[in-house]
Amino acid sequence: MSERVWEVFRQEDEGDPMIHSGNVNAPDEDLAMHYAREFYGRRGESHRLWIVARDAITELDDPDLLKPPFDRSHKKPGGYLIKHKLEAAKARATKAGE
Amino acid sequence: MISEPPATLDPTAREALAELILGVADDEFVIGFWDSEWTGIAPMLEEDVATSSIAQDEIGHARALYELLADLTGDDADRIAFGREPDAYRHAALLNHARGDWAFSVARRWLYETADAARLAALATSNWPPLAQLTAKIRREETYHRLHVDAWLRRLADATPDVRERLADALVRLWPDAQQVFAPLQTEEELVRAGFLPEPLRAIHASWQQAVRPVLEPITGTLPPAAPTMDGRTRRTDDFLWLHGQFTMVARSEEGATW
Repeated sequence: MSERVWEVFRQEDEGDPMIHSGNVNAPDEDLAMHYAREFYGRRGESHRLWIVARDAITELDDPDLLKPPFDRSHKKPGGYLIKHKLEAAKARATKAGE
Repeated sequence: MISEPPATLDPTAREALAELILGVADDEFVIGFWDSEWTGIAPMLEEDVATSSIAQDEIGHARALYELLADLTGDDADRIAFGREPDAYRHAALLNHARGDWAFSVARRWLYETADAARLAALATSNWPPLAQLTAKIRREETYHRLHVDAWLRRLADATPDVRERLADALVRLWPDAQQVFAPLQTEEELVRAGFLPEPLRAIHASWQQAVRPVLEPITGTLPPAAPTMDGRTRRTDDFLWLHGQFTMVARSEEGATW
């Protein structure tokens, strides 16, 4: 039987993020749905499942793109002193709410 | 038109309901045990889990039905399930056969699931509320069972000639016994009169057969005329005697024990 791998994402409750749970082997979409239900939903633990054929996923794992060699620390939020600004904003919000 | 259920059940009504429920419960119980024979040896790991889980669902439905029956007759669900001699079981002849190969199990489950669906659709409108309510719950799971076995029937029908032939052979062989899911009940007249069973089994059978022929005949060729018979739920086979020995083994090992 020619099998494909299907990646399964589950959502615990409406509005929660879809979280990758694992995968199943199945020959077609219909059986993939049944197997995903058996592995990731039969105990009532899921609100919704997404079943995606692995070969339909566009993958990016090129380190030149994801981990560039130059210093990119200026793109991270660290290093900016915003503590006082935050405190002032909080105080304003509290005052406005009174 | 659905007639009002009687406020209290007289002995005749009780006896009729008991016969109806016992047949459905035994069907679910026996197919659950046959299909559980695939645990560990199904065609692929995912299917192994799915088949085992569906078999467990069926035994779960049987349990709920045996409990309903026990309430009705003042009996005990475990005793009904495991404490009877083989000839006291009332499952349809379709469930007298051993598991067979994968094509045979798919063929049997497809015939059974479709027949069961037709029967449950009728029982969902029973005017005896406990039966209608339990049926509604069971149907929610059975919908998924039917989709699963439908997917398998199509896969096998579209596979290599050898696979297709095995499937067709199994369907032809099981065809006469599949009708027996609708075998007449002794108390049927009373069941219909009281509104417990909204329409006679022969009517449910006729619409089931009309619906399944167009799906099966492209695989099997024209299927012969077939109808339910009086002995459809009382015939027993050596295969069933073996299965009965298996599923009563643990209960018999320590009678009256609390597990």
